[in-house]
Amino acid sequence: MRIAIQIENLSVIFNEKEVLKNINLSIEEGHFIGIVGPNGGGKSTLIRAILGIIRPSSGVIKIFGQDPALLPGKKETVFGYLPQHLNIDPAFPSSALDIVLMGRYKKTGLFKWPGTKDREIAEKYLAMMGVGNLKDAQFSRLSGGQQQRVSIARALAGEPRILILDEPGTGLDAVGQEDFYHLLKSLLKKMNLTILMVSHDIGTVTTYVDEISCLNINLYYHGNPLGALDDKVLTSLYGKNMDILMHSGVCEKCERLRSQ
Amino acid sequence: MIEIISSPFMQKAFLAGILISILTGIISVFIVLRKMSFIGAGISHAAFGGIAIGFFSGLNPLFTAIIYTIFVALGIESTSRKGKMTEDVSIGIFYSVSMALGITIISLSKSYNIDLFGYLFGNILAITNGEVLLTLITALTVTAFMVTFLKELFLITYNEELALVSGINVRFFNILFLIALSVSIVISIRIVGIIMVSALLVIPGATARLYAKSLISMITISCLTGFTSVVAGLFLSYEYDIASGACIVLTAAAIFFVSLILKNRE
Repeated sequence: MRIAIQIENLSVIFNEKEVLKNINLSIEEGHFIGIVGPNGGGKSTLIRAILGIIRPSSGVIKIFGQDPALLPGKKETVFGYLPQHLNIDPAFPSSALDIVLMGRYKKTGLFKWPGTKDREIAEKYLAMMGVGNLKDAQFSRLSGGQQQRVSIARALAGEPRILILDEPGTGLDAVGQEDFYHLLKSLLKKMNLTILMVSHDIGTVTTYVDEISCLNINLYYHGNPLGALDDKVLTSLYGKNMDILMHSGVCEKCERLRSQ
Repeated sequence: MIEIISSPFMQKAFLAGILISILTGIISVFIVLRKMSFIGAGISHAAFGGIAIGFFSGLNPLFTAIIYTIFVALGIESTSRKGKMTEDVSIGIFYSVSMALGITIISLSKSYNIDLFGYLFGNILAITNGEVLLTLITALTVTAFMVTFLKELFLITYNEELALVSGINVRFFNILFLIALSVSIVISIRIVGIIMVSALLVIPGATARLYAKSLISMITISCLTGFTSVVAGLFLSYEYDIASGACIVLTAAAIFFVSLILKNRE
């Protein structure tokens, strides 16, 4: 299988403070990766470096063998990205469909607005995210969960090869989150996607992802999701005041993962 | 009414006024959505320094003000981007220093006969044919830029990181937008004046924001608000012999508050 993301000796320094230190990571195409860690542990910095938004202080990142800083200039849409915060005006003048069409801008190129085909694709992803009926609703008036679904439809509308989601569970309730993670799993196969998902919710993420990366400035663990629940790993991430509560008899998904 | 329209200086004022109302109507949308109203006020006040340089050097004050405000806008962008200081601090320093520079230059040049009041509050009697032509050329150029790259500017307004990932050179467009903003401010000074030009950059967009459901409808409402304010304001200015800038801004403010009241009643 092809390597989608290759990171070697990556360090990022902001204001003379090391935010990421000597990260080495290799992610295969078609895998669903969870990135977990405490606040300030460098999760968002890592994905922003992968996206080419910030330059590493040292080390190398390759996306399908290419420098991520050069990818925005290419016609192909490599990344679909869901930022953690949008910070938009509460009266931002856009329908849900307008927002999803933004995901097609790279495909349409300069001087052109998205056309009928782009509109059909945008509507398809809105429907896939279960918010097709809200296409004409004003985006800023939607609930947090609905906005999140529309935003993920936007990230998918460019038909990317890698989907990067920064805290996508924000605004979704527990049931909504479970449905959402199932949906991501199904997209993985349907669209041959590689998914990188940042989350603070280590318990839920371990149930759904193929591999997990535990990050707290250093990368303490990368591998099978259940390995992240090891005492040593958790102490490295969150300190000593961390306990795991196992709900025995109800965690069928954990059993399934163990048997894989 | 016919007397006003047939008067040559009013014809020039209306032509220049309508051009700037469309121009600032478009720019105002992005100023409001990107929460940039302070930079608009900062650059317009900084223009005073550029106008003073024009008086001192013998060049056209609007021309020197355009060059000067572009440098100020780029200075604000550069210092705040490098993280040396926050944008509001940078604007505060640049505009107060520019005002001080303008007053110093005018004091040193002993040019007491200059129309300072006209530059500060707008003077439609002072508009020359050359300035109407300058307004026409710059308004067409800036409007063409904004319309051509509307999609890119819209995505940058929505989220800069998403725009970067989509292959848009965000810094390049931000700099072009600041240049467009600086030029628009300076060519509006003759009609509205330095003190009040920032109102034309905020009120039309703020009014449109109350009702607009799409970018195009927001631009349309914003331009219509600007257009109505400028035309009605110029009539009032002529009729009651009040500074044009004050009449235009008060008309715009009246439209905004009536719109706000109607919106709250919905």
